[in-house]
Amino acid sequence: MMASLSSLRKRRLKERCFRWAGLLSVLLALLFLGGILGNIIYKGVPAFFRTEISSKLYPNLLNSHARYTADSLWIVASDDVDMYYKKGYADRLSPPQIQEIKTLKEGGQIRLAFNGGFFSHSDSREPELAGIWGGLVGSCLTLLITFMTAFPLGVGTALYLEEFAPKNQLTHWIEANINNLAAVPSILFGLLGLVLFIHFLGLPRPSALVGGLTLGLMSLPVIVVATRSALLSVPQTLKEAALGLGATPLQVLFHHVVPTALPGIMTGVILSLARALGETAPLLIIGMVAFIATPPAHFLSPATVLPVQIFNWSRSSEMGFIENTSGAILVLLLLLALLNGVAVLIRRRFEALK
Amino acid sequence: MNMTSKIDIKHLNLFYGDKQALFNVSLKIPAFQTTALIGPSGCGKSSFLRCLNRMNDIVPHARMEGKVLLDREDIYAPSVDVVELRTRVGMVFQKPNPFPRSIYENVAYGPRIHALFKRKSELDEIVEVSLKRAALWEEIKDRLHQPATRLSGGQQQRLCIARAIAVNPEVILMDEPCSALDPIATAKVEELIDELREKFTLIIVTHNLQQAARVSQQTAFFHSGYLVETGETGALFTMPQDEKTQGYITGRYG
Repeated sequence: MMASLSSLRKRRLKERCFRWAGLLSVLLALLFLGGILGNIIYKGVPAFFRTEISSKLYPNLLNSHARYTADSLWIVASDDVDMYYKKGYADRLSPPQIQEIKTLKEGGQIRLAFNGGFFSHSDSREPELAGIWGGLVGSCLTLLITFMTAFPLGVGTALYLEEFAPKNQLTHWIEANINNLAAVPSILFGLLGLVLFIHFLGLPRPSALVGGLTLGLMSLPVIVVATRSALLSVPQTLKEAALGLGATPLQVLFHHVVPTALPGIMTGVILSLARALGETAPLLIIGMVAFIATPPAHFLSPATVLPVQIFNWSRSSEMGFIENTSGAILVLLLLLALLNGVAVLIRRRFEALK
Repeated sequence: MNMTSKIDIKHLNLFYGDKQALFNVSLKIPAFQTTALIGPSGCGKSSFLRCLNRMNDIVPHARMEGKVLLDREDIYAPSVDVVELRTRVGMVFQKPNPFPRSIYENVAYGPRIHALFKRKSELDEIVEVSLKRAALWEEIKDRLHQPATRLSGGQQQRLCIARAIAVNPEVILMDEPCSALDPIATAKVEELIDELREKFTLIIVTHNLQQAARVSQQTAFFHSGYLVETGETGALFTMPQDEKTQGYITGRYG
């Protein structure tokens, strides 16, 4: 009796330790996540606002393109003024300039307004004029290509391997290799894309087409693996029920197996697209790192994508670009959250039907 | 047993890879009767059942020898269409396995894929008749379009029977149809099996000897891959010829 009591105490102690360790790790993870998010939001949200001046009295306070652009009441201030007005950084302003800003402030001729240009402009050498539009359009076009190549190929491969292929040495070998490919560093897919699409096929260099195809190669094994595990989770009894009624293997597949596996397949596809959306390394290799100041007009025109634009901005030492970097990261995070939200919605919807 | 035999199994051997599961089984299944297959777990009775509508085709490395004649036609002949065979020989499984769709769609699925109707009203009738025959209609007629998975286990199994009936098969194979059900649901399914005998030839695998005695007219006893004894159910249970049969039905092993 005593022995069993002490073993009970030991067991309870172990259980308590395990629970505390779990709770602690969750708290730590939340702390890091909160720190990162808080930092990005703190730095990034100001990028959505810009300083504007409604006076042409002091041209050296205005943005460098102001003298070419048409007259408007409120003119975007230079990034140095912007930084001073928002955060009080005065390193790059001369004392007279600071005095001028004070005068403007007293006259109500300087204000903080919503930075529409951040969303509607493409990249620029001037942080106050740079925006994410080009990167956004490039990302959309690239992702479209990725989806159109990786989705049908990946799902088709998984369907064939899981439902039709003979189970022999060759298919086993292929399966093992696909699983390994899913873990290959993404930069290697960039090298593959460079050799295959640019050197061999001669497609135009920094285009959404090449970027999309390269990311498609990268997403392919992930989609295959996700689809196969979704197909594997379809109960054998369901297939037998349909076969027992005289359904053909193809009918079993498309009437029962695919609909049942669809939420899993779609979740896998969307998550792999989300990964492709945030991918930078392979795109640097295929030349999408170039400075491109216009949004791509079509799939073959020079393009850049949001994460690469973030990468480019982050290398700049100008205060304005540091702010822009965080702002663009916020937009990217929002897009990723949106994609993941869609995946969750699809899953919920299909589970409600069951 | 002078009935015409619906299915005639001759010298059937079944292998899973190197392992032989059935040894030289010969059995005649009389039409419009219920044949019960009994025996200890792993004796091959389910494997045998699955040979009768070629469900073993989908098992990798499964190989069979011998003949299975359905109305004197070999169902393993190369000219036989498995899809057509399975519309003639339906199957009900151990665990109720309704499709994750509505009750109506479950029953309508077979007629749909085999185009057994011309108008929607005809399909409605097939669904209603099948559900009535499966003694489920009264319970669910008001919620035909609700998900089938919300039914109780016993109702689901009767739905699966209705689904099998809807394609109007000649033979229905049942693989331990009551093993996942409670006694009340079991009683309902057994009653149903007795009624179905008028229209269909039934073969039922069961672990429940009382059930075999209650619902079947012919019983076959399997033991480690061999068909040990076959006979009229009453006779087999009261006067088993083989020692193993006697041992099993008196509960000495199994």
